[in-house]
Amino acid sequence: MDSLTQVTIDFDRSHLIFPTLIGSILVLLSLAIIAKRRHKLAEAGAYWGQITGHMDKPRFFGTLALTVLYFSLMVPVGDIWPNTGLGFLICSIPYVFATGVLFMHERTLKQMLVMLVISVFAPALVWWLFTEIFFLTLP
Amino acid sequence: MEFLSLITPLFLALVVGGTFVGIIFGAIPGMTATMAVAVCLPLTYSLGLENGLALLLGLYVGGISGGLVPAVLLGIPGTPSSITTTFDGYPMAQRGEGEKALRIGITSSFVGGTISLFALYFFAPTLADFAIEFSYVEKFLIILFALTVMAALSKDMLMGIFSGFLGIFIALIGTYDISDGGNGNLRLVPPGTEYWLDSGFSLLPVLIGLFGLAAILDEAELGVPKGQSREDVKIGSGSTFSFSVFKGQAVNLIRSSGIGTFVGILPGVGGSAASILAYSNAKTFSKTPETFGTGEPAGLMASESGNNGLTGGALVPLLSLGIPGDSTTALLIGAFTLQGIQVGPLFIGNNPETWNAMIFAMLIANVAMFAMMYVAIRYFALVVTIPKHVLFPIILMMCVIGAYTINYGIMFDVWTLLIFGLFGWVAVKLGLEVAPFIIGFILGPSAEIYFVKSLESFGDLTIFFTKSWIAAVLWVLIIGSLIASVYMSKRQRKLETRSS
Repeated sequence: MDSLTQVTIDFDRSHLIFPTLIGSILVLLSLAIIAKRRHKLAEAGAYWGQITGHMDKPRFFGTLALTVLYFSLMVPVGDIWPNTGLGFLICSIPYVFATGVLFMHERTLKQMLVMLVISVFAPALVWWLFTEIFFLTLP
Repeated sequence: MEFLSLITPLFLALVVGGTFVGIIFGAIPGMTATMAVAVCLPLTYSLGLENGLALLLGLYVGGISGGLVPAVLLGIPGTPSSITTTFDGYPMAQRGEGEKALRIGITSSFVGGTISLFALYFFAPTLADFAIEFSYVEKFLIILFALTVMAALSKDMLMGIFSGFLGIFIALIGTYDISDGGNGNLRLVPPGTEYWLDSGFSLLPVLIGLFGLAAILDEAELGVPKGQSREDVKIGSGSTFSFSVFKGQAVNLIRSSGIGTFVGILPGVGGSAASILAYSNAKTFSKTPETFGTGEPAGLMASESGNNGLTGGALVPLLSLGIPGDSTTALLIGAFTLQGIQVGPLFIGNNPETWNAMIFAMLIANVAMFAMMYVAIRYFALVVTIPKHVLFPIILMMCVIGAYTINYGIMFDVWTLLIFGLFGWVAVKLGLEVAPFIIGFILGPSAEIYFVKSLESFGDLTIFFTKSWIAAVLWVLIIGSLIASVYMSKRQRKLETRSS
């Protein structure tokens, strides 16, 4: 009986012990969940169809697209003026404006102008605060 | 009293400022105390530990308290912990007693926060002193217990356990760190991603993604619901508030605050559970339970003292065991990590000034919350009218700063934010539980060290059962929490079948 519970750890392979254990538990739990929820799993297509059907697609996917674009451009733009954080500032202004307009419900000229002022002022203030006062690295 | 040297004008300004901003975050539906802490975390990078904590604790107390504003005035909980506040607060507002309801809520929040602070002050050091004796075996079992408690209190126990283990699994990605006694080898890293995943995913970008970006994606999915207009805000002009409304409610307040504190001590259980339990207990013990839900001040008192009771309670396991009590305190771990401090049983003994400064900050935050909200509640009520199309882009921008600056400028951390923001959005749809996931993610690396080192030292699996009487007690608690969960879920199903 003792030998069944005894374990010898090979230090060179010790990095795999816990991931293997946790991975095995996850597989067992997945099987239990599949068994318990098999009816719901069969309706998964309809469930996701309902979610995407009710979704505000322009706002949701627009947010994702703008965010990916924002993240992708920040470093290349920042590399033009290294160690200044200008990549963050220059990319944040159009990003804040575009997402603000995307989330807006009534896009009047007045609302757009207010959003424009905010989208210049807020990133500029944050950029100044973090680079000049807190001396933090920005892209 | 050496900690008094840390109480500078800046410290006080940060607590009060943090509380103010926290109230605003809490008061806007869709924004939470956790989001407030996540967004403001980068501000603490240059502030030092005590000043940074002053800001974050102010945000925490303010964020939890601010949730009562829309709950009372609009019937929409500003934070999940204010759900039961809507039950009686909103009916009061509808009959023109909005201001009175808010002041009852503010006073109850103050009582709850203060009682839980006393519990924190006296209980955390005792628990820490006890936990100092723990070996790796007991520490591993404590983590296992934390995960099972969270899973047991999840909507679906199986999904709760799965979420916790998934969090651990993802935390293991990267190198088995030599500084923790590992062998320095990589694991779970897909080929070609070694450069980015050498150290795995950083904690803060993961947290900011899950609590910042995911919340905004949720709102975007719903079309970013239009903000409220001033006409929607039913503050009421003729309502008068008097402290005499609390006459005969001392037991209710103390019991609800105690429940909130206890729920806070349980790892990973949020404020919504605290207020629901406090509310249902107040209703059960009330002489007039039928008035609950129709604008009964006692219900409002129970809900608000319960959810603010959570604030001190949730810090108990964090500061004594290194296990966060809720998602917001999980973010505080990030703040400690940033300053190179490890929270756990040794924290209070080794950092008495920081500990006292934290208690003082919590006390000031509660007083500031009470004073600000009591005096200026009419103005705070207008916060709910701030348009989300202005706030959300700024929050997204702040999320980027938080993620980018955590490791002094690594763009992969920003992409991590996006990955986990999307994951957080999908996870809820799949029925995964974010709180157990986060606790698993935070505690995963420690769990590995404790587990593997225990086996290396003793070479026998039975050591997890036979090491000490504490280990045996922990196993009883672990099994007990699972049995209780199965029993509760069966009982719930029976009740649902009967009612349908």
